[in-house]
Amino acid sequence: MNELFPSPAAGLFGRRLKRARAHRVPVTVITGFLGAGKTTLLRRFLATPDGRGTAVVVNEFGATGIDDALIRESADETVLLGNGCLCCITRSDLQQALRRMVVERERGELPDFRRIVIETSGLADPSPILQTFATDRALGEIFHIEVVVTVVDAETGADTLAWSSEARKQVILADRLVVTKTDIAGEGAASALTAQLRTLNASAEILLAVNGELDPTRLTQAASDQRNTFMAETEHSDGIGSFVLNETSPMPWTVFARAMETLMALRGPDLLRVKGFLDVAGCKGPVVVQFVQHLAHPPVELESWPDGNRQSRVVFITRDMTEKQVRDLFAAVRALI
Amino acid sequence: MPAATSPLNKSGEPTTWNFKLLAQNDLGGFGGMGEGMAVQIAKDGRRIIWLAHESAPKNFTGVDVSDPRKPKVVVQTDLPQTFMRSNSLEMTGDILAVAYQTQKAGQQPAGLELFDVSVPEKPRSISFFDCSGATSRGVHQLWFCDGEYVHMASGAPDFKPSHPLDDQFYRCIDVRNPSKPVEAGRWWMPGTKAGETPLPRHKLDKGYRAHNTNVYKQRPNRMYLCYIDGGMFVMDISDKSKPKPISHWTNSPPYTGFMHTAVPLFDRGLLIVTDESTENSAKDWPKLVWVVDMRDETHLVSISTCPMPPVDAYANRGGRFGAHNIHENPPVPTAWQSDQIVLGTFFNGGLRAYDISNAYQPKEVAAFVPPPPKGTPAGAVQLNDVFVDEREIVYTVDRHTGGLYVLEMDF
Repeated sequence: MNELFPSPAAGLFGRRLKRARAHRVPVTVITGFLGAGKTTLLRRFLATPDGRGTAVVVNEFGATGIDDALIRESADETVLLGNGCLCCITRSDLQQALRRMVVERERGELPDFRRIVIETSGLADPSPILQTFATDRALGEIFHIEVVVTVVDAETGADTLAWSSEARKQVILADRLVVTKTDIAGEGAASALTAQLRTLNASAEILLAVNGELDPTRLTQAASDQRNTFMAETEHSDGIGSFVLNETSPMPWTVFARAMETLMALRGPDLLRVKGFLDVAGCKGPVVVQFVQHLAHPPVELESWPDGNRQSRVVFITRDMTEKQVRDLFAAVRALI
Repeated sequence: MPAATSPLNKSGEPTTWNFKLLAQNDLGGFGGMGEGMAVQIAKDGRRIIWLAHESAPKNFTGVDVSDPRKPKVVVQTDLPQTFMRSNSLEMTGDILAVAYQTQKAGQQPAGLELFDVSVPEKPRSISFFDCSGATSRGVHQLWFCDGEYVHMASGAPDFKPSHPLDDQFYRCIDVRNPSKPVEAGRWWMPGTKAGETPLPRHKLDKGYRAHNTNVYKQRPNRMYLCYIDGGMFVMDISDKSKPKPISHWTNSPPYTGFMHTAVPLFDRGLLIVTDESTENSAKDWPKLVWVVDMRDETHLVSISTCPMPPVDAYANRGGRFGAHNIHENPPVPTAWQSDQIVLGTFFNGGLRAYDISNAYQPKEVAAFVPPPPKGTPAGAVQLNDVFVDEREIVYTVDRHTGGLYVLEMDF
């Protein structure tokens, strides 16, 4: 329908944006194993000026109870927290809870929240949450996952990572890793854990929080997309690996789209997360692409390359899939088009 | 989920969403601003925004916004009479055109004044074009973007309206010699001149008068003329002495009139049209920003409106709630141009930005509702006009006391 009124100022993907989330409500996902210190971190954040206007969604997924006084009993309750914040505990469906919050905000029944923080239960694999925003068109239009923060306890984190595949996945999918309880665990344990985290996730920023203290912007700002383009391919015991697809020349959109369609069709469940900037032929700014398994977020073009470095860099986090296989597929598609 | 009480909406707590407030200036205690805003780059490189006042005693104010975080008033002028208002101004180069309207017909002075503001601190009058008359209140609004013609909503000594509220019509003034402005042409809506078959009065009866008279260099032979209770007209002004209507579009009735501004988006075949809310407590709700299909300028079709926040949350905050001015993409080098974003002021609904990339589904992408400015009689902010400069700095003004707010777009 909109082809009737094209704007010459628009790009291949519509209006060029200053930032990937555009106008949408930023969402921070905080994951981490039970007792890792997620709630402490969140409480400290809510007390800062940056925390103002935050709606906290505690997603229990029917798991064991949450261990903090933030949380009340009874299902699906919204509680005002002060500082313009509110907390919604959902034991049912995250999508429904978020939709309800939007409707009630529109009606003026809820505060005018400007940020959502989703605190997952300790056992949760964050993938379904990331998928929620890609599957639900209405939610994807309103919310944007700004950053996935995974909290790891320096005292017990190494052990947890050794026995729990969920914990490993939380680390692998994170944009930012926060190591807590470093004061208890000691410096040696903290640096050993940091090294272990780096092997699992080579691109995420790793931060240390002492007594739950962390620069509040680390929970609100998008992770830098200045991924290390020389990041070596990594592979873990779960068959999960990551690599960066970087290209120095612009790629026709058709090549990228068709290659990704093929990957999603053949190996969708094994594409855990694909995210990054793409230099698309004919586009002025970088095109932000994001995939979670078989789901694709709509691509958006930014007004300009944030760091002046015009180079495609797309991080792939995959299961049982090698960098070479993906590169070969892109090369084959490029040759055929 | 039980509904929680919303302290924000009940108390009218401010909202800043996807805008960043850089500065506010109450303009020396004279912060009741009208609907004229223009930016000049002075010869010494300073960036001056010229602002019209809503009412006397002030005429216009020049503010140095070279550093948008530190706006400084450089000049503020006075009106000669308290019954006057200079609600509208525009500029080309260093020439500032100011509209003078009086409270009652017959009062003087009423008309158009041109100033040389090449030295911003010392505006110098170049000429005055008298529009007063027994049935005229002078000039309410003007457009001056090409340095040659002032297009304005004005009365005239030789024009007797069929109804006192219908006194201002379209006049084109040739100012190529700025010291001797002369009328080049005029047009009035049929039925508004005494002796013609009178038009039916609207329920709120705000008059059949010209309001905005926008002309763009992309299509200099067209004018987009709003006519308050008379809807809007696309006008052929290829012969300035004989303006001719090409098409007409109105929403009232059943809406409540007061069509205000029409901004063409030529490349997209769209027209953005605003109403003005004029009644307190949203008694004239809904007053909207309309998106009109203008691919065929002879057949205008309304296709969507910009979504407003809930009327219940705003109606009783104080003052008016509803559409008014939008950034008009004035064809001057110091103005931002966009055919994908519409920024508008909605009185106590604040400043709002809409993404109209999909013309059928405009969506709100940013809002700024500041706290009630100090001393305002309205009880809430009443944002009245908005202008965006080519640096993408947004300027908006309060109608009563708040003066100037300077913002950045963050979306």
